[in-house]
Amino acid sequence: MRISKTIYFFFIPGLILYALFFLYPTISAIFYSFTNWDGISENFNFVGLENYEKAVTGDSVFVKSVGNNLEFMLFVVIFQTIIALIFAILLVKNTKVNYLLRALFFFPTILSSVSVAFIWTFVYDPSLGILNQLLSLIGLEFLTQNWLGNGNIAIYSLAFTQVWFHAGQMLIIFVAGLHAIPFDLYEAAKIEGATKWQTFKKVTWPLLAPSATIVIAYTTIQSFQAFDLVFAMTGGGPNNTTEIISTYIYEIAFRGYDFGYASAISVLFMAMIALITFIQFKVLRSNRVSY
Amino acid sequence: MMKKMVSWSAGLFSFILLLTACADDTSQQNQEEDENQGSESSAAEEDATQISFIHWRGEDEEVFDDIIDQFEEEHPDITVQMNIYPSEQYQSNAQQMLRDGSTGDVFTSFPGTQFETINNAGFFTDLSDEEFVNNFADTSLEVGQSGGSQLALPYQLVFNMPVYNKGMFEELGLDVPTSWSEYQEMAETLKENDITPIAFPGADIGPNQTMNSMMMNNAKDEDVFAKLESGEETLTNEWWTKTLEDFQYFNDNGYFQEDALGTNQDSAMQMVADEKAAMLATGSYHMASLQDLNPELELGFLPPITVPEDEVEYEGIHTATFMLAVNDNSEKKEEAKTFIEFLSQPDIASQYANETGQHLTVNDVEYESDALQNTSHWIDEKDTRFQPRYLITEASVEDAVLGSIENVLGGTDPEEAAEEAQQIVEENTN
Repeated sequence: MRISKTIYFFFIPGLILYALFFLYPTISAIFYSFTNWDGISENFNFVGLENYEKAVTGDSVFVKSVGNNLEFMLFVVIFQTIIALIFAILLVKNTKVNYLLRALFFFPTILSSVSVAFIWTFVYDPSLGILNQLLSLIGLEFLTQNWLGNGNIAIYSLAFTQVWFHAGQMLIIFVAGLHAIPFDLYEAAKIEGATKWQTFKKVTWPLLAPSATIVIAYTTIQSFQAFDLVFAMTGGGPNNTTEIISTYIYEIAFRGYDFGYASAISVLFMAMIALITFIQFKVLRSNRVSY
Repeated sequence: MMKKMVSWSAGLFSFILLLTACADDTSQQNQEEDENQGSESSAAEEDATQISFIHWRGEDEEVFDDIIDQFEEEHPDITVQMNIYPSEQYQSNAQQMLRDGSTGDVFTSFPGTQFETINNAGFFTDLSDEEFVNNFADTSLEVGQSGGSQLALPYQLVFNMPVYNKGMFEELGLDVPTSWSEYQEMAETLKENDITPIAFPGADIGPNQTMNSMMMNNAKDEDVFAKLESGEETLTNEWWTKTLEDFQYFNDNGYFQEDALGTNQDSAMQMVADEKAAMLATGSYHMASLQDLNPELELGFLPPITVPEDEVEYEGIHTATFMLAVNDNSEKKEEAKTFIEFLSQPDIASQYANETGQHLTVNDVEYESDALQNTSHWIDEKDTRFQPRYLITEASVEDAVLGSIENVLGGTDPEEAAEEAQQIVEENTN
């Protein structure tokens, strides 16, 4: 079949948008990462690899923010995936109650991140917050914490909020994946006398791999982009214990007016996300099966 | 099925179009009405020069609207288009807006980092020779100066030091302490009465506000942060480790409420309004809100005294929340200056002060509320110093300084916290 050349014109609007909102900013960031531009002045100097050198060898807050971000990402990826998967299995049947419950679990996703931050800041308040009050009420006072003020646990409190915020979205992806698994495979497994765990391990999980790949990759990227939630809830504090890379980039660019250095960190950040996502795809792709 | 979907979609589309048309119609109708009503004034406005005024205090919108109306009445040849941005957004975007000169003929600047950055970019017009500079208190002007030029005029004056419940002190027979030992006695008495001495909003502004009054007599040299940034001083020296030790003392001895680092300013204000705490560790800008929460409160200032009486040099902290300036890229500089001159007239400044519940740097302002009257003597009679935090010009250094306070309140030893912070300072200044 001969494809008319006209069809190529249909790519143009998309390409223009892609170039304008993705390629241009990316190339600009790479360019400015080699400068000392303050974001305002028309003049700047090229500083070679100085910004990259500082990020890698001379910036303890950046190193800390990378560590915090990895902790945050691991917590969110593990718990969000597991919780979404468990609830997807429990709610996979298309009954009216399940429709309602799926909608309820999905509900936080449609809220704005600032609203979520506001709600959870109130929940976590050490004296007025509902969480500590609830724990005290049911006799678990010893578990009450300074959830956002204690540097040892603040990052996990934020990560939990992130899980609450997005688990419903991942649940829907898993439910769709579960519905795509042919029912006769479960019948065959039953006839063969497979236990529930064996059925999950040999049928459900391998065939859910494409959905899991999407969920894990998406959750990873989302965890790195959790700027608004962290910024609104802790602003990176106390003492940088919840500083993640995106909030640190904001600090450097818009409070420190060092756009050159912020661009260098952004480029490193982009490379890091690309690398982690690539590894995930490779690992998860190797687990895929087809029957 | 397909036909049904198409007809439903078409119906929905028509309905949306109808709504849009109605909305357009209504807005057009309103516009026409407005145009008819104001035909005379709009004719005058067409000839008028419009200036842009940008700032970041949303709570000032109402009073500025009224002041702008008065200005436009007095100066029919000038109109003012005011835009208010959230403070975070303003801090990050103002410089970009000022660049081409079409926005922010008159703009506000934070003292400190933002002032330095805008100054480096050359966006300030030199106001040194303007008559209206004399309308401002001499003592307040320095923060808006650079290289011997008056680049910005501090307008709103705030006292960044704890506000206390005077009525509660009277009831308990407490006097305002003048030395460290008296301060300790006062705090112990409050604790004995189940009252938290200081409500400290450690989750947001507590550290950056309280550091000023905590260090004011520990580091009397006003250039201490300039020296820190140039490498002549370090955070591991006594002036800062002593300040951190004081914070540790306050925290460990229950002068701050439990879990202070998790408390935000709203919760801390509520504690003071409910009279569960005697002091609020923020500043004068919260007095109006506190009185909204509890109109019975009688308020005053009570900065922490961390040194013996004979070593007290400073009694408190003041700062300019924002400074007024004229964009050097503006083509309407004269009109912009006329607007600042108008804002610096005592009657207009008084209106602004009384309606926002804030003190001003303008001379001859008459304060109406009890809270402002009771505290206005701090402007002339007390020896206050400019907020040291705003003298830190590097954001990363400021973060390191504040981080060390949070670190200590989180349980870290002051010396260790100071060393950690000093490392960050060195990474960003050398």
